[in-house]
Amino acid sequence: MSEKYHFPEGLYSDIRIEESYSTTMSMFNGELTRDFARPEIGAMIRVYDGKLWYTTSTNDLSEIQKELDALAELATPDPAIYENPAIRLLEVNRDERLVYEGENKLCNITRERFMKVLNHYVEKCVDASVPEVSSWSIGVGGEYQKKSFYSSKGSAIVYDYQMCSCGIFYAITVDGQQINGGRQYFGVTPEEMFGHENEALAERDRYIDYLKNAVELEPGEYTCVLSPITTAMFAHESFGHKSEADFMLNDQKLRDEWVLGKKVGSDLVSICDDGALVQHGYIPYDDEGTKARATWLIKDGVLTGRLHDSTSAAALSEELTGNCRAQDYFRRPVVRMTNTYMAGGKDSFEDIIADTKDGIYVYMVSDGTGSATFVMNATVCYRIRDGKICEPIRVRMLSGSVFQTLFDIDRVGSDFEIFDTYTCGKMGQTVRVSAGGPTIRVRKLQVG
Amino acid sequence: MAIREKHGVHSRVSKMTFEENKPKAFERVNSVESSYRVYDNEKVGIFHCIGEVDDEEGFARAQADPERARPYPFTPESGDVRRRDKRESELSDSELMAASEEYMKYLTDNYPRFTFSGGIRTESIEYTLKNDLGIDYASSDACAGVSIQFKHKDSVDIIDGSFGFNFRKFDDGTIFRTMADLYLGNYETMAELPEEIVIVMQYYGLTGMLQSELNAEGLALGTSRLSGKVGEKVFSEDFSMEHDAGEKEAWFTRFWDGEGCVIPEEKLVLIENGVIKTGISDKRVAKKYNVPHTKSAGHNYADLPYVGGLNLRIKRSEKTVKELLAGRPAIIPMNATGSPMDANGDMSLLVNTSLLWDGERVIGRLPQFRVKANFFDLFGKNFIGVGSDDVKAFNDKAILLRMERV
Repeated sequence: MSEKYHFPEGLYSDIRIEESYSTTMSMFNGELTRDFARPEIGAMIRVYDGKLWYTTSTNDLSEIQKELDALAELATPDPAIYENPAIRLLEVNRDERLVYEGENKLCNITRERFMKVLNHYVEKCVDASVPEVSSWSIGVGGEYQKKSFYSSKGSAIVYDYQMCSCGIFYAITVDGQQINGGRQYFGVTPEEMFGHENEALAERDRYIDYLKNAVELEPGEYTCVLSPITTAMFAHESFGHKSEADFMLNDQKLRDEWVLGKKVGSDLVSICDDGALVQHGYIPYDDEGTKARATWLIKDGVLTGRLHDSTSAAALSEELTGNCRAQDYFRRPVVRMTNTYMAGGKDSFEDIIADTKDGIYVYMVSDGTGSATFVMNATVCYRIRDGKICEPIRVRMLSGSVFQTLFDIDRVGSDFEIFDTYTCGKMGQTVRVSAGGPTIRVRKLQVG
Repeated sequence: MAIREKHGVHSRVSKMTFEENKPKAFERVNSVESSYRVYDNEKVGIFHCIGEVDDEEGFARAQADPERARPYPFTPESGDVRRRDKRESELSDSELMAASEEYMKYLTDNYPRFTFSGGIRTESIEYTLKNDLGIDYASSDACAGVSIQFKHKDSVDIIDGSFGFNFRKFDDGTIFRTMADLYLGNYETMAELPEEIVIVMQYYGLTGMLQSELNAEGLALGTSRLSGKVGEKVFSEDFSMEHDAGEKEAWFTRFWDGEGCVIPEEKLVLIENGVIKTGISDKRVAKKYNVPHTKSAGHNYADLPYVGGLNLRIKRSEKTVKELLAGRPAIIPMNATGSPMDANGDMSLLVNTSLLWDGERVIGRLPQFRVKANFFDLFGKNFIGVGSDDVKAFNDKAILLRMERV
């Protein structure tokens, strides 16, 4: 545990060791084009003297003490370092949560088990008689990570996480026009990914129909009904990024704008981030050793929380939330989301559609960004007329102001789902996250 | 007889980061990555390792996984000893620290109504390739990079804009101060959106899009927007693009591709005066689709190579950016989000913050606006050109494109 390292006096230091294993096999048009497994191990070492963080990383774990000592040489010891507000806040946790072992630990899962899944979907989901499919790609794989964290305050934490996935994607071509469509499915083991062939084929047929029949839409403001996967991205992009507190440490304007207790959305809106959920954003402890917890960012339309690392929590005199994360051991942790979701409501999907006289149903989006004007790039949308979903329409972009849109949510469905498909980029780092939500209706979004 | 081959990369990074005007961290990374390959009987075994490993162990592990031996019915490349070193100076940590301090002081002293985050980094990379057939290649480069994000104190957004540039040798700070003054000096002056929308930008995101469409596999399968158009004039007469592995202005390039192939003269013309000259292929794609092998394999350390990894260069005009503008102002987007292309090749762009620029000076900041563009028009009727000169806004070449306001 942490006792095996000699932490330098007058400095806060921590060591994060990451042991990972990833594997991918993928087939493109019948040819196995990806087939690899990669183990990796490395560590990030950090030292803080109250003024600056000094960090380095190494793949040689026997060098950790040497690297730690070398960093300490760069720093200026401060006997009162543990009185520093950010360091004082840091939790001391000692825990071991190793869940994956035996034949279902990723590094022990045979290639044959993955190939069975891959061949199953090739057999079930590839049909050469569908002329619109100009190419297809089916991939299976997994990622495993064991993370250990030791700090000079006494933390000693070890946990692991594993996720397997299977993606089935088609390039659809009709009259020289082309789109890509498909879905990814998740499980802890390869076998958990069986059973999605009908969904995958339905998705393929949806994209074919979309490409054949979608019509242009006049850009403008429309009432939008968002599918659960779209709401998930909406929660992440429209508000999630604004809840990351590292952008408002010394900024009075933003502190005033996002003061806790302020009404920021309709009474139907509640958004939570929770790294303890065993989803794609699972981190039982963050990269400062803080225990994950559910943080309600908005509760019934009122701003109730935000996401912190120790620096931001100290600067804003708030509690730690367990959201300090790094992409890998080469990178310094910053404030990030984990599993972020908008809570479900009471309305059925059918009632929400039936109650919409004129609008747009956003079935699928590909990506988005989270400035004050947030953006989601739509891939498949339909027109709603007189309470019915009608023809597919071509929509490239949905956008809205975070300050207005949350107030414009007037229906929230009971069909809550959480999706593991996401990764999130910030400051050059990509981390795994999940996002969730139900069907919702937004009175107006800019569509174009 | 088995042929052994080792691909390597050794990267050293030092970085100073700032958060809301204050120094936050000094970071160092020293990483070694190797890909050991053993070719035998039309198959290749691969062992990818991050961190140091003994070569004999690396090759043994590449050979030790017969289940994953990839089909590779090609002869590995042969060659000789060749070195390229584009480094111009040693970029020391002390210079990095001094420049960081000086740059942040300049920003906070001169622009107190903004907050700044970002960093300055130095990076040195050595790529190597060695095999039993005589190849012994090495390519080194080193550069420093500045990346600054800024936010106006009255803004309710997280970030309003950013600027940055790379360089091989620390100067006296002139490039940085010039760029900072250009982006921030007139930021608080509001300007009007012109009737004609001319966007000025660096072109690397656009060449990435073209590279993807030029993949010979996509061309053969009909999944590229350029399928059936090789040999045809598709874009503007003024638009030409080539892969240039020896481009002096580019950072961290290699003169060999992911299969060890070297292109004669290191140049491959892909689009000439608007005509698509060729798709790009590696050995697998060339053989499978019976198309010319253009030696365009990307560097995939964990697995078989894939098509890609080119250093694409759009031919510069004989005119300067100012001359290309011919009196029109151009727009520098600073905080913008684009959509992917739809089935028609149409894209949308939401520009949150941008600057109106006359080719030398910033006139003022523009309100939020939306534009649309089309893949074929961007490099066709709406392509104005890449200026013959480097512009101070990027310390680099710049492309001028017309877009349509929505």
